[in-house]
Amino acid sequence: MNPVLLPLHLQLFAAAILVSFLAWVVHLIRYHMLSLRDSLLWLLSTTAGLVATIFPVTLRWTATALGITVPSNALFALAFVYVLLNLLAATIAISGNAARVRRVAQECTLLRAEIAALRTRVDALTASR
Amino acid sequence: MSSCCWRLVIWYLPVRKRAGAGPRLQPDGHNREIGVKLLVIVPAYNEAKNLPFVVTSLRRYAPECDVAVVDDGSTDQTATVAAALGACVLRSSINLGIGGAVQTGYLWARDQGYDAAIQIDGDGQHDPRFIRDVLVPIERGEAEIVIGSRFLGEEGFRSTALRRAGIRYLAWILRVRCGARVTDPTSGFRAAGRAALELFAQRYPSDYPEPESIGIATRAGLRVREVSVQMREREHGRSSIDAWRTIYYLIKVSLALLFLPARATTGCGSGAESA
Repeated sequence: MNPVLLPLHLQLFAAAILVSFLAWVVHLIRYHMLSLRDSLLWLLSTTAGLVATIFPVTLRWTATALGITVPSNALFALAFVYVLLNLLAATIAISGNAARVRRVAQECTLLRAEIAALRTRVDALTASR
Repeated sequence: MSSCCWRLVIWYLPVRKRAGAGPRLQPDGHNREIGVKLLVIVPAYNEAKNLPFVVTSLRRYAPECDVAVVDDGSTDQTATVAAALGACVLRSSINLGIGGAVQTGYLWARDQGYDAAIQIDGDGQHDPRFIRDVLVPIERGEAEIVIGSRFLGEEGFRSTALRRAGIRYLAWILRVRCGARVTDPTSGFRAAGRAALELFAQRYPSDYPEPESIGIATRAGLRVREVSVQMREREHGRSSIDAWRTIYYLIKVSLALLFLPARATTGCGSGAESA
Protein backbone atom coordinates (compact mmCIF):
# COMPACT_ATOMS: atom_id res chain seq x y z
CA MET A 1 0.00 0.00 0.00
CA ASN A 2 2.71 2.43 1.03
CA PRO A 3 4.97 3.57 -1.75
CA VAL A 4 8.64 3.02 -0.98
CA LEU A 5 9.79 6.03 1.01
CA LEU A 6 13.49 5.41 0.69
CA PRO A 7 15.23 3.26 -1.90
CA LEU A 8 17.01 0.45 -0.07
CA HIS A 9 20.51 1.34 -1.22
CA LEU A 10 20.03 4.96 -0.11
CA GLN A 11 18.72 3.74 3.22
CA LEU A 12 21.78 1.51 3.67
CA PHE A 13 24.12 4.31 2.68
CA ALA A 14 22.56 6.80 5.11
CA ALA A 15 22.52 4.24 7.91
CA ALA A 16 26.17 3.39 7.27
CA ILE A 17 27.16 7.06 7.48
CA LEU A 18 25.21 7.62 10.69
CA VAL A 19 26.55 4.42 12.27
CA SER A 20 30.14 5.33 11.43
CA PHE A 21 29.47 8.82 12.79
CA LEU A 22 28.15 7.31 16.03
CA ALA A 23 31.19 5.02 16.16
CA TRP A 24 33.42 8.06 15.72
CA VAL A 25 31.72 9.89 18.59
CA VAL A 26 32.05 6.81 20.79
CA HIS A 27 35.72 6.56 19.82
CA LEU A 28 36.24 10.22 20.77
CA ILE A 29 34.61 9.58 24.14
CA ARG A 30 36.65 6.45 24.78
CA TYR A 31 39.93 8.23 24.18
CA HIS A 32 38.90 11.36 26.12
CA MET A 33 38.91 13.65 23.12
CA LEU A 34 35.26 14.54 23.68
CA SER A 35 33.74 14.81 27.13
CA LEU A 36 30.66 12.73 27.83
CA ARG A 37 28.78 15.88 28.72
CA ASP A 38 29.42 17.54 25.37
CA SER A 39 28.77 14.32 23.45
CA LEU A 40 25.26 13.70 24.81
CA LEU A 41 23.53 15.94 22.29
CA TRP A 42 25.49 14.42 19.40
CA LEU A 43 24.66 10.89 20.53
CA LEU A 44 20.98 11.63 21.00
CA SER A 45 20.51 13.55 17.77
CA THR A 46 22.49 11.04 15.70
CA THR A 47 20.49 8.16 17.16
CA ALA A 48 17.32 10.02 16.23
CA GLY A 49 18.65 10.36 12.69
CA LEU A 50 19.39 6.66 12.62
CA VAL A 51 15.86 5.83 13.73
CA ALA A 52 14.48 8.03 10.94
CA THR A 53 16.67 6.21 8.44
CA ILE A 54 15.80 2.69 9.53
CA PHE A 55 12.10 3.42 9.93
CA PRO A 56 11.36 6.00 7.22
CA VAL A 57 7.70 5.91 8.21
CA THR A 58 8.58 8.06 11.24
CA LEU A 59 9.70 10.67 8.75
CA ARG A 60 6.28 10.52 7.09
CA TRP A 61 4.58 10.92 10.48
CA THR A 62 6.68 13.99 11.19
CA ALA A 63 5.93 15.38 7.74
CA THR A 64 2.17 14.93 8.21
CA ALA A 65 2.31 16.38 11.70
CA LEU A 66 4.18 19.45 10.44
CA GLY A 67 2.02 19.74 7.33
CA ILE A 68 4.94 19.10 4.96
CA THR A 69 3.82 17.34 1.76
CA VAL A 70 7.12 15.76 0.80
CA PRO A 71 8.78 13.69 3.56
CA SER A 72 12.24 14.50 2.20
CA ASN A 73 11.60 18.18 2.97
CA ALA A 74 10.83 17.17 6.55
CA LEU A 75 14.21 15.42 6.52
CA PHE A 76 15.94 18.62 5.37
CA ALA A 77 14.15 20.65 8.02
CA LEU A 78 15.07 18.18 10.75
CA ALA A 79 18.67 18.00 9.56
CA PHE A 80 18.86 21.78 9.73
CA VAL A 81 17.46 21.82 13.26
CA TYR A 82 19.94 19.07 14.19
CA VAL A 83 22.90 21.15 13.00
CA LEU A 84 21.60 24.35 14.59
CA LEU A 85 21.04 22.65 17.92
CA ASN A 86 24.52 21.18 18.02
CA LEU A 87 26.06 24.45 16.85
CA LEU A 88 24.29 26.40 19.57
CA ALA A 89 25.45 23.87 22.16
CA ALA A 90 29.03 24.34 20.91
CA THR A 91 28.74 28.14 21.08
CA ILE A 92 27.39 27.91 24.62
CA ALA A 93 30.38 25.78 25.59
CA ILE A 94 32.76 28.32 24.00
CA SER A 95 31.16 31.23 25.86
CA GLY A 96 31.40 29.38 29.14
CA ASN A 97 35.01 28.54 28.47
CA ALA A 98 35.86 32.13 27.54
CA ALA A 99 34.48 33.30 30.88
CA ARG A 100 36.42 30.60 32.73
CA VAL A 101 39.68 31.27 30.85
CA ARG A 102 39.32 34.93 31.66
CA ARG A 103 38.83 34.26 35.36
CA VAL A 104 41.75 31.82 35.47
CA ALA A 105 44.04 34.25 33.65
CA GLN A 106 43.06 37.01 36.09
CA GLU A 107 43.71 34.70 39.01
CA CYS A 108 47.18 33.91 37.58
CA THR A 109 47.89 37.61 37.19
CA LEU A 110 46.92 38.29 40.80
CA LEU A 111 49.02 35.39 42.07
CA ARG A 112 51.99 36.55 40.03
CA ALA A 113 51.72 40.02 41.55
CA GLU A 114 51.28 38.52 45.00
CA ILE A 115 54.44 36.42 44.57
CA ALA A 116 56.40 39.44 43.35
CA ALA A 117 55.29 41.42 46.41
CA LEU A 118 56.21 38.57 48.75
CA ARG A 119 59.57 38.15 47.03
CA THR A 120 60.50 41.80 47.57
CA ARG A 121 59.49 41.51 51.23
CA VAL A 122 61.54 38.35 51.68
CA ASP A 123 64.51 39.95 49.93
CA ALA A 124 64.25 42.98 52.19
CA LEU A 125 64.09 40.75 55.27
CA THR A 126 67.07 38.64 54.27
CA ALA A 127 69.05 41.74 53.38
CA SER A 128 68.37 43.31 56.78
CA ARG A 129 69.72 40.27 58.61
CA MET B 1 5.71 51.68 29.05
CA SER B 2 4.66 51.82 32.66
CA SER B 3 8.25 51.27 33.78
CA CYS B 4 9.22 54.26 31.63
CA CYS B 5 6.70 56.41 33.46
CA TRP B 6 8.00 55.14 36.74
CA ARG B 7 11.49 56.07 35.76
CA LEU B 8 10.31 59.57 34.88
CA VAL B 9 8.88 59.88 38.36
CA ILE B 10 11.95 58.37 40.02
CA TRP B 11 14.34 60.78 38.26
CA TYR B 12 12.77 63.78 39.89
CA LEU B 13 12.58 62.36 43.36
CA PRO B 14 15.29 63.62 45.68
CA VAL B 15 18.20 61.23 46.17
CA ARG B 16 17.83 59.32 49.40
CA LYS B 17 20.81 59.71 51.66
CA ARG B 18 21.96 56.46 53.18
CA ALA B 19 22.16 56.64 56.94
CA GLY B 20 25.02 54.91 58.67
CA ALA B 21 27.09 54.51 55.54
CA GLY B 22 29.50 57.17 56.66
CA PRO B 23 32.56 57.52 54.44
CA ARG B 24 35.94 56.61 55.80
CA LEU B 25 37.56 58.67 53.09
CA GLN B 26 38.29 62.27 53.89
CA PRO B 27 37.81 65.07 51.39
CA ASP B 28 40.86 67.04 52.57
CA GLY B 29 43.46 64.90 50.81
CA HIS B 30 44.88 63.36 53.98
CA ASN B 31 43.70 59.88 53.18
CA ARG B 32 47.11 58.27 53.42
CA GLU B 33 47.61 59.54 56.99
CA ILE B 34 44.36 58.10 58.28
CA GLY B 35 44.97 54.77 56.61
CA VAL B 36 42.65 54.98 53.64
CA LYS B 37 43.99 52.96 50.75
CA LEU B 38 43.56 54.29 47.24
CA LEU B 39 44.55 52.43 44.10
CA VAL B 40 44.96 53.79 40.60
CA ILE B 41 44.31 51.10 38.01
CA VAL B 42 46.11 51.73 34.73
CA PRO B 43 45.13 49.22 32.04
CA ALA B 44 47.91 49.13 29.46
CA TYR B 45 48.35 47.19 26.26
CA ASN B 46 51.61 48.00 24.46
CA GLU B 47 51.85 51.37 26.15
CA ALA B 48 55.56 51.32 27.02
CA LYS B 49 56.00 54.73 25.34
CA ASN B 50 53.10 56.41 27.13
CA LEU B 51 53.54 54.83 30.57
CA PRO B 52 56.47 56.89 31.91
CA PHE B 53 54.49 60.08 31.40
CA VAL B 54 51.33 58.60 32.96
CA VAL B 55 53.04 57.12 36.00
CA THR B 56 55.24 60.13 36.72
CA SER B 57 52.29 62.51 36.54
CA LEU B 58 50.36 60.10 38.79
CA ARG B 59 53.21 60.27 41.32
CA ARG B 60 53.19 64.02 41.07
CA TYR B 61 49.47 64.79 41.24
CA ALA B 62 48.18 61.81 43.20
CA PRO B 63 51.03 60.81 45.54
CA GLU B 64 48.61 59.33 48.06
CA CYS B 65 47.52 56.62 45.61
CA ASP B 66 49.16 53.30 44.90
CA VAL B 67 49.55 52.60 41.20
CA ALA B 68 48.75 49.23 39.63
CA VAL B 69 49.57 48.89 35.94
CA VAL B 70 47.64 46.04 34.36
CA ASP B 71 49.76 44.76 31.49
CA ASP B 72 47.22 43.04 29.29
CA GLY B 73 49.52 40.62 27.52
CA SER B 74 51.62 43.32 25.88
CA THR B 75 54.25 42.38 23.33
CA ASP B 76 56.43 45.39 24.11
CA GLN B 77 58.24 46.42 27.29
CA THR B 78 55.11 47.61 29.12
CA ALA B 79 55.63 45.40 32.18
CA THR B 80 59.36 46.18 32.49
CA VAL B 81 58.78 49.91 32.10
CA ALA B 82 55.98 49.86 34.68
CA ALA B 83 58.11 47.92 37.16
CA ALA B 84 61.04 50.28 36.62
CA LEU B 85 58.71 53.19 37.40
CA GLY B 86 57.94 51.56 40.72
CA ALA B 87 54.33 50.69 39.95
CA CYS B 88 52.75 47.44 41.02
CA VAL B 89 52.58 45.36 37.85
CA LEU B 90 49.64 43.03 37.22
CA ARG B 91 50.88 41.13 34.23
CA SER B 92 48.46 38.96 32.30
CA SER B 93 50.02 36.36 30.08
CA ILE B 94 47.16 36.52 27.58
CA ASN B 95 45.35 39.50 26.14
CA LEU B 96 41.98 39.71 27.87
CA GLY B 97 40.84 42.98 26.34
CA ILE B 98 40.23 46.21 28.23
CA GLY B 99 37.36 44.78 30.29
CA GLY B 100 39.30 41.78 31.54
CA ALA B 101 42.31 43.96 32.29
CA VAL B 102 40.36 46.54 34.24
CA GLN B 103 38.57 43.80 36.15
CA THR B 104 41.95 42.32 37.12
CA GLY B 105 42.68 45.71 38.66
CA TYR B 106 39.41 45.69 40.56
CA LEU B 107 40.08 42.13 41.78
CA TRP B 108 43.47 43.30 43.06
CA ALA B 109 41.86 46.31 44.74
CA ARG B 110 39.26 44.07 46.36
CA ASP B 111 41.72 41.43 47.56
CA GLN B 112 44.26 43.97 48.85
CA GLY B 113 41.60 45.83 50.80
CA TYR B 114 41.60 49.15 48.96
CA ASP B 115 38.86 51.59 49.93
CA ALA B 116 38.56 53.12 46.49
CA ALA B 117 39.98 52.57 43.03
CA ILE B 118 40.54 55.09 40.28
CA GLN B 119 40.71 53.92 36.72
CA ILE B 120 42.89 55.81 34.24
CA ASP B 121 43.87 54.91 30.69
CA GLY B 122 47.50 54.03 30.06
CA ASP B 123 47.72 56.13 26.92
CA GLY B 124 48.03 59.47 28.67
CA GLN B 125 44.74 61.02 27.61
CA HIS B 126 43.50 61.27 31.19
CA ASP B 127 45.05 63.92 33.38
CA PRO B 128 45.88 62.70 36.92
CA ARG B 129 45.33 66.26 38.14
CA PHE B 130 41.60 65.46 38.12
CA ILE B 131 41.91 62.45 40.41
CA ARG B 132 41.17 64.69 43.39
CA ASP B 133 37.97 65.84 41.69
CA VAL B 134 36.63 62.38 40.85
CA LEU B 135 37.30 61.21 44.41
CA VAL B 136 35.37 64.04 46.06
CA PRO B 137 31.80 62.64 45.64
CA ILE B 138 32.98 59.25 46.95
CA GLU B 139 34.71 60.86 49.92
CA ARG B 140 31.56 62.79 50.71
CA GLY B 141 29.49 59.64 50.47
CA GLU B 142 27.41 61.06 47.62
CA ALA B 143 28.22 58.37 45.10
CA GLU B 144 29.82 54.97 44.72
CA ILE B 145 30.96 55.61 41.16
CA VAL B 146 32.21 58.85 39.70
CA ILE B 147 32.76 59.32 35.99
CA GLY B 148 35.15 61.93 34.69
CA SER B 149 33.18 63.59 31.91
CA ARG B 150 34.58 65.62 29.01
CA PHE B 151 31.22 67.19 28.32
CA LEU B 152 30.31 68.84 31.61
CA GLY B 153 32.96 71.52 31.13
CA GLU B 154 33.98 73.32 27.98
CA GLU B 155 37.73 72.75 27.77
CA GLY B 156 40.06 70.01 26.62
CA PHE B 157 39.94 67.41 23.91
CA ARG B 158 36.36 66.41 23.11
CA SER B 159 36.64 64.01 20.17
CA THR B 160 35.09 64.40 16.72
CA ALA B 161 31.50 65.53 16.09
CA LEU B 162 30.46 62.10 14.81
CA ARG B 163 31.87 60.37 17.85
CA ARG B 164 30.18 62.87 20.11
CA ALA B 165 26.87 62.02 18.43
CA GLY B 166 27.52 58.32 19.13
CA ILE B 167 28.31 59.13 22.75
CA ARG B 168 25.07 61.09 23.12
CA TYR B 169 23.17 58.18 21.64
CA LEU B 170 24.74 55.77 24.14
CA ALA B 171 23.95 58.16 26.97
CA TRP B 172 20.36 58.20 25.78
CA ILE B 173 20.04 54.38 25.74
CA LEU B 174 21.72 54.19 29.13
CA ARG B 175 19.19 56.66 30.51
CA VAL B 176 16.09 55.10 28.96
CA ARG B 177 17.01 51.46 29.44
CA CYS B 178 19.09 51.41 32.61
CA GLY B 179 18.06 54.65 34.32
CA ALA B 180 21.59 56.03 34.49
CA ARG B 181 22.10 59.69 33.72
CA VAL B 182 25.56 60.42 32.41
CA THR B 183 26.93 62.71 29.73
CA ASP B 184 30.11 60.76 28.93
CA PRO B 185 29.35 57.02 29.13
CA THR B 186 32.49 56.03 27.19
CA SER B 187 34.87 57.76 29.55
CA GLY B 188 37.44 55.39 31.03
CA PHE B 189 38.34 57.90 33.72
CA ARG B 190 36.40 56.92 36.79
CA ALA B 191 36.56 56.31 40.49
CA ALA B 192 34.88 53.47 42.35
CA GLY B 193 34.21 53.24 46.06
CA ARG B 194 34.48 49.99 47.97
CA ALA B 195 30.97 48.75 47.08
CA ALA B 196 31.52 49.54 43.42
CA LEU B 197 34.93 47.90 43.19
CA GLU B 198 33.54 44.78 44.82
CA LEU B 199 30.75 44.73 42.24
CA PHE B 200 33.15 45.23 39.35
CA ALA B 201 35.51 42.57 40.68
CA GLN B 202 32.60 40.18 40.42
CA ARG B 203 30.93 41.44 37.30
CA TYR B 204 32.48 43.43 34.48
CA PRO B 205 31.85 43.26 30.73
CA SER B 206 34.70 42.06 28.56
CA ASP B 207 34.94 44.31 25.53
CA TYR B 208 33.93 47.97 25.30
CA PRO B 209 32.91 47.82 28.95
CA GLU B 210 32.54 51.49 29.90
CA PRO B 211 28.85 52.23 29.13
CA GLU B 212 27.70 48.77 30.18
CA SER B 213 29.51 48.93 33.51
CA ILE B 214 27.62 52.13 34.33
CA GLY B 215 24.39 50.27 33.61
CA ILE B 216 25.46 47.32 35.75
CA ALA B 217 26.30 49.62 38.66
CA THR B 218 23.06 51.55 38.37
CA ARG B 219 21.01 48.37 38.22
CA ALA B 220 22.85 47.13 41.31
CA GLY B 221 21.61 50.22 43.15
CA LEU B 222 24.90 52.13 43.22
CA ARG B 223 24.87 55.88 42.78
CA VAL B 224 26.71 57.21 39.76
CA ARG B 225 27.85 60.83 39.55
CA GLU B 226 29.86 62.77 37.04
CA VAL B 227 32.45 65.45 37.48
CA SER B 228 34.01 67.59 34.79
CA VAL B 229 37.49 66.62 33.62
CA GLN B 230 39.66 67.64 30.69
CA MET B 231 41.17 65.07 28.42
CA ARG B 232 44.12 65.20 26.05
CA GLU B 233 44.77 63.54 22.75
CA ARG B 234 46.98 60.48 22.83
CA GLU B 235 50.72 61.07 22.87
CA HIS B 236 51.80 57.99 20.98
CA GLY B 237 49.95 55.49 18.82
CA ARG B 238 46.34 55.48 17.73
CA SER B 239 43.16 54.96 19.66
CA SER B 240 42.05 51.36 19.63
CA ILE B 241 38.71 52.41 18.15
CA ASP B 242 38.84 53.24 14.44
CA ALA B 243 36.09 53.96 11.91
CA TRP B 244 34.77 50.45 11.26
CA ARG B 245 35.08 49.38 14.82
CA THR B 246 32.96 52.36 15.85
CA ILE B 247 29.98 50.76 14.10
CA TYR B 248 30.64 47.41 15.75
CA TYR B 249 31.13 49.27 19.02
CA LEU B 250 27.77 51.02 18.75
CA ILE B 251 25.89 47.84 17.84
CA LYS B 252 27.56 45.72 20.50
CA VAL B 253 27.12 48.27 23.25
CA SER B 254 23.51 49.01 22.24
CA LEU B 255 22.71 45.30 22.43
CA ALA B 256 24.49 44.96 25.74
CA LEU B 257 22.54 47.87 27.19
CA LEU B 258 19.23 46.62 25.80
CA PHE B 259 19.81 43.19 27.30
CA LEU B 260 21.23 44.40 30.56
CA PRO B 261 18.05 44.80 32.65
CA ALA B 262 16.85 41.38 31.49
CA ARG B 263 20.05 39.53 32.29
CA ALA B 264 20.68 37.52 35.44
CA THR B 265 23.06 39.25 37.81
CA THR B 266 25.31 36.24 38.22
CA GLY B 267 26.79 34.04 35.53
CA CYS B 268 25.72 30.42 35.31
CA GLY B 269 28.26 28.59 37.45
CA SER B 270 31.29 30.26 35.93
CA GLY B 271 31.27 33.19 38.32
CA ALA B 272 32.63 35.46 35.60
CA GLU B 273 30.66 37.71 33.35
CA SER B 274 31.11 37.04 29.66
CA ALA B 275 29.76 39.68 27.38
